[in-house]
Amino acid sequence: MSRIGVFICHCGTNIGGVVNVPEVVEAARHMPLVAFADENKYTCSEVGQSSIRNAIAEHKLDRVVIASCSPRMHENTFRRTVTAAGINPYLLEMANLREHCSWVHSDARDATSKAIDLVRMAVSKVARHEALFPKQIGLTKRALVIGGGVTGIQAALDIAASGHEVVLVEKEPSIGGRMAQLDKTFPTLDCSACILTPKMVDVAQHPKITLLSYSEIVDVRGFVGNFEVDILRKAKLVDYEKCTGCGLCWQACPEKIPSEFNLGLGHRTAIYIPFAQAVPNKPVIDIANCRYENYRRWKETEEGEEPPQCRICEGVCPTEAIDRTQQDEIITEKFGAIVVTTGFKTFDYSVYGEYGGGRYPNVITSLQLERLMSAAGPTEGEVLRPSDGTHPKSVVFIQCVGSRDDKVNRPYCSKVCCMYTAKHAIMLKEHDPEVQCYVFYIDIRAGGKDFEEFARRAQDETGALYLRGRVSQIYQQGDKLMVLGEDSLMGRPVEITADLVVLATGMEPSENAAEIAQTLNISYNTYNFLIEAHPKLRPVETQTDGIFVAGAAVGPRDIPECVAHGSAAAVKAVALLSQDSLTTDPLISVVDPMKCVGCFACKEVCPFNAIEEQVTRDGRTISSINESVCKGCGLCVVACRPGAINLRGFTNQQLLSEVLTLVGR
Amino acid sequence: MEADFTSQIREKARELLEKGTVECVIGYETGSDGVSARPSFIYNPSEVERLVFDNTCSHNLVKYLLDKKGKPTAIVVKGCDSRALNLLLSEKQLQRDQIFIIGVVCPGVVEWGWNRRSEQFQKRCDLCRQHTPLVYDLLIGTPVTEEPPPEFTDIAEMSARATEERASFWREQAERCLRCYACRQACPGCYCIDCFVEQLDPEWVGIRIATGENLMWNTIRAFHLAGRCIACNECERVCPVNLPLSLLNRKLEEEMLELFDYRAGMSEDATAPLITFIKEEKLGIGE
Repeated sequence: MSRIGVFICHCGTNIGGVVNVPEVVEAARHMPLVAFADENKYTCSEVGQSSIRNAIAEHKLDRVVIASCSPRMHENTFRRTVTAAGINPYLLEMANLREHCSWVHSDARDATSKAIDLVRMAVSKVARHEALFPKQIGLTKRALVIGGGVTGIQAALDIAASGHEVVLVEKEPSIGGRMAQLDKTFPTLDCSACILTPKMVDVAQHPKITLLSYSEIVDVRGFVGNFEVDILRKAKLVDYEKCTGCGLCWQACPEKIPSEFNLGLGHRTAIYIPFAQAVPNKPVIDIANCRYENYRRWKETEEGEEPPQCRICEGVCPTEAIDRTQQDEIITEKFGAIVVTTGFKTFDYSVYGEYGGGRYPNVITSLQLERLMSAAGPTEGEVLRPSDGTHPKSVVFIQCVGSRDDKVNRPYCSKVCCMYTAKHAIMLKEHDPEVQCYVFYIDIRAGGKDFEEFARRAQDETGALYLRGRVSQIYQQGDKLMVLGEDSLMGRPVEITADLVVLATGMEPSENAAEIAQTLNISYNTYNFLIEAHPKLRPVETQTDGIFVAGAAVGPRDIPECVAHGSAAAVKAVALLSQDSLTTDPLISVVDPMKCVGCFACKEVCPFNAIEEQVTRDGRTISSINESVCKGCGLCVVACRPGAINLRGFTNQQLLSEVLTLVGR
Repeated sequence: MEADFTSQIREKARELLEKGTVECVIGYETGSDGVSARPSFIYNPSEVERLVFDNTCSHNLVKYLLDKKGKPTAIVVKGCDSRALNLLLSEKQLQRDQIFIIGVVCPGVVEWGWNRRSEQFQKRCDLCRQHTPLVYDLLIGTPVTEEPPPEFTDIAEMSARATEERASFWREQAERCLRCYACRQACPGCYCIDCFVEQLDPEWVGIRIATGENLMWNTIRAFHLAGRCIACNECERVCPVNLPLSLLNRKLEEEMLELFDYRAGMSEDATAPLITFIKEEKLGIGE
């Protein structure tokens, strides 16, 4: 026979102010199997907890009901309390008299009667509880970082610094991400490349970091501590063991292709590194655009005119590093933790017909302006108009292009645009004192250390004219652009003749963010930004254990935030990898092999891929739960027609017993 | 036509058994009343002459395949029965390569009883939209063009009644239920080893045979078939007290069509909507 102890909490006046606690205690004393009932002012206090421990010893209690607040609050506290008194932590049940009762009812009599019912249900449930024991599983002490922007670089460096091995996977030929494309950074105006490239080199040189550039994640299996990841290594056609990165090949290559890194403002060759400080500083051959690869494709069918052969790169390479036999390859690696830092791309403004939709060469994006300003960019730092290469004297900036606009389904603020536009206004004035800047804005959002001062500086010192309002149309007139807008503060239309228009395009998640999230089984929102486990208290964790998120993949963020989140995610990953084994929660599903008919409805509904197939000794294929993967959500229990699956700690028997107690049976 | 179907079935059955392709052929034979058909299990080529096909071949034989797991078996299926095959294949209860399917383009079966056969089609055959089997290895008969999915006039009539009226209607029906479970035994979708109604811990449904418990039994069974019922109507046919079970099943069939544009058992690799999550699917909840 069980001996159940019931402890009712006043929670100061939170519960006691509405519920008549002594009456509930008295009722509890008469409930079946209850050997002891008592009340506390604050059960969670040390006094309250020790009274529970003493009562357990004194009254030989073997199960405990604590009627207080939400189990989310203190279930773990009280599990430790009863464990200290020698009771299995899962022989505890909580009745929520605060959130479910006193906080939502004002009538003392009704609330007390409901409190008694809640306690009665908890007593009937705990009577059917079983002792449960967590399991220990091993783990692989390596981390995977997906995405080699500044966030991923920071995360990889921090994890490696703790002594754990890291694999950094980057889909482009070089790490560096968006930050590598920037000229200067706000509000300090330090050179982006100058602060980023040392970190990139650190990644390349760190003995604990393996950099897999030009690679992508294909599939992820397994669970926390034990992930198995298939990584696609795209064919580079260059043997990195032999290549020294001398650069002869890309200087000799005759093919010219618009440079992705320079956002179409300059050209690169078919064998190329995206930018001078690329890491790894070794080229890849762009198979789609290489002349000899094109010839090889023609050779297979010999249809049409014979294209020219080339192979100049092979001729000039002093180390014979060009390897045309390379194929795409999928490798499988094991990891204990995964950090997702897939970053962002800029909004495609072509949907805005009023801004020309991409038809006017002198309407450019802010990121393109960064490339024009960069000394390593296509114009070597001269800001020149794409149409005729002249210096613009009148420049219009338009804010919130693809931000704060329901019309294009981007209602969110991209956060960085106000600041980088202020930076552009300041920089342009430094490049050419004759420049006049105009900024059309909705609000100036400059929250951040030294941000407001910086934004003021753009307005006060550079003479940039800030106009509050939207631009309704841009049209070409001669070699000028006419910008029609509204100054809503003055309440009148404005028309500006501009040499150059710069659109402050907002941030949105990288192209394949959703796809990667699906592969990893983590959530993402309607804009494909990844969703953290808790926006405030668990900002770098996800609902999938062992997978962490950081940087602009989660939402619009500036560089310092990305770096901080990269480090935060690294700490979480390191905390995981530093353990010798992982403890699994025993509150998970369990299959009764005698009842399971093997329809695998459970497998279809399981969001965690925790259901595996198992063949019984009598040859039936039935389902079995992978205890390390199951999160105890209970979907399988609902889907199971024969009731073969039960959720430990919330079994059908336990829940029905509560219901039957409530309806008085 | 019946004679032709019968001879083709016999011929194929003989070939399969003689070659040893299958161990058993499940089909129909004439019952001891000499009028109506009953299920038949043929293991020996010399016995294939027992097999027949006529308009009393009502039984959905697919259920018997569940007892033949792991043994190569041939089976005679009508159009409606073939949906049961798909259902059980998609729910991993059968292995396609273990089954030889003799599909028959069914002209419809008639109302019949012991030693009597009427000329009137069964109700389900009037509503039938699947005369030609969906899956088969040998097809007997010429495929017919199927009409679009059924209309639910009887359901609409029932739904139009007041809630109270419907409740009392079903209470009356439940009062008559004997809880013999013939419906479950005949149903191809009911294959649990341990049916919820017979479980004692937890006791989902009281074992007492009374209106409340009976209502519970029939309701849960209907829910277990939501999105799975393939409309063979065997449950209603075998019910000894003639409960109008098809009203429950067809109501759910209508809901599945409306909400998900889905009919159970139409393909072997279909995933039932109730165990599928599609982000784009919006059911107007909260809108």
